Amino acid sequence: MGIKRGVSLYSYQQAQFFKQMTWKDQIVEVHDNLKTDGIEIIDEAVIRNYPFPSEEFIYDWNNFMARYNMKAVTMDVYLDVHQFRDHVMTHREAAERLKNDIKLAARLGFANVRPLCLVPTDVIEMALETAEKYNVRIGKEIHAPLPIKPGTRVQPTKGMAAALDFKMADQIIELADRTGSKHVGLVPDFGIFQHSPSQVSIDYAKRHAKMPEAIDFILENSKDYELDDMYTVLDEKYPGHGIDMGTVERMSLHRSSADPEDIIDIIPYIVSIHGKFYNMTEIPSKPGCYEDKAIDYETPMKYLRENGFDGYIDSEFEGQRDQQDRGVEYLVDEVEQVRRHHEMLRRLGGEA
Amino acid sequence: MFDQFLIRKDSLSNVYENGKAVGFKFAVRIADYRGCFLSLHNGYYINCDGTEYPKSLQKFEINGKAPRDFEEIKTCVWEHWNYDDEGFVHVAKEGGLKPGKHTIGLQQSILAQYGYMPWDEEWVKNPPEPGSGAGAGKTAAICTFELELQEGGC
Repeated sequence: MGIKRGVSLYSYQQAQFFKQMTWKDQIVEVHDNLKTDGIEIIDEAVIRNYPFPSEEFIYDWNNFMARYNMKAVTMDVYLDVHQFRDHVMTHREAAERLKNDIKLAARLGFANVRPLCLVPTDVIEMALETAEKYNVRIGKEIHAPLPIKPGTRVQPTKGMAAALDFKMADQIIELADRTGSKHVGLVPDFGIFQHSPSQVSIDYAKRHAKMPEAIDFILENSKDYELDDMYTVLDEKYPGHGIDMGTVERMSLHRSSADPEDIIDIIPYIVSIHGKFYNMTEIPSKPGCYEDKAIDYETPMKYLRENGFDGYIDSEFEGQRDQQDRGVEYLVDEVEQVRRHHEMLRRLGGEA
Repeated sequence: MFDQFLIRKDSLSNVYENGKAVGFKFAVRIADYRGCFLSLHNGYYINCDGTEYPKSLQKFEINGKAPRDFEEIKTCVWEHWNYDDEGFVHVAKEGGLKPGKHTIGLQQSILAQYGYMPWDEEWVKNPPEPGSGAGAGKTAAICTFELELQEGGC
């Protein structure tokens, strides 16, 4: 047993965009070169004509997965509340989308679906019966800037962070305990253990800032200000800086949103894990060994290993988007990044 | 995302009707890592050689159908723009563009979200104006492209 390795095909989004790799090529890469079987997908990236794929697509998918003896771990599903444009989707309509996604996931052989952290808990509860019926587990994502345990972080009042419910993980655990259902749980994303901005995103922010010195100011002073105050201070010190809130939020990161030890108590509720990363670089003292300098993998993986977690960590490479603003010569090699990530997962997961 | 690759470099051409140039078009990809319900597509901020071309002058061609304006696109609530697929943005401009190089500033607006946000009701009544950054999805910057007008077109 032990921790299992997988890949979210999200990691190869750029290769798919440029038509260098199809989803079949990606699965073969996972099988042949990473020597593992876990596959995760983004529904609206892989499923042609979502949400109405052809019978041919479904058969082709299942057949290809069978050919290589792969495991369909988690399908990432979405909630676009403006789909109908003449009204904001009601919670009951949101549940209909989730139920339909669950049925689709079941047809493609997936064990789990991952709704996002902004999906209300009552929407998930409304879809739970469908999840039971089709034997697909619902794993709600714990994504940065969420903590695992509430009360450990100050919640900002602006930006995306303000719209999230910091008690989210507790609410899902309460739902699972109250219903006794094994079909609802959590998908922690390793981004919650990111403690500093990635170099690739710092470089991107500086290339696009009217005043790159304002980015340096954020990086140097982020420990001294809560995020809300940082917006204010920045406007005072650098009038007209033009840095958007998302960038300020990313550059201000100086402490992980979750404490690594908090993962121990939620292990029974973990459906699968997103292995988020941005930039795998060689560890100077360890040739052939790689790390993401912005994310703590070592501590949480130690806790997962010691406490018997035997589910999947699926690589989720996200560094490509910060390197697409220049010529093709600056594009990152996703395949190589994921191979390095799996070197780390093997090593920290205790596989020889 | 895909900042420098949202417009295909060799895709700019004039659009002709009855032998007369009535505008121009270029090929775009979605500025996201996933496709979207077509209804969510809310048009573009387009600045060509210093002139802005608002949403009312734009049409979008996708899924093998004739170009549709964004009032019609808004009603395509079950149709999907697949992540892999290229679409064409058509812009009305009498006489089209002159031969040679053109500079296009572009921001795509897609009202894709991860769930409920405080501005939801407002967006139903007043969708964000492309170019403001709101509703700009994963590429909030206005990206600039130097494009050579291609011969032909239709």
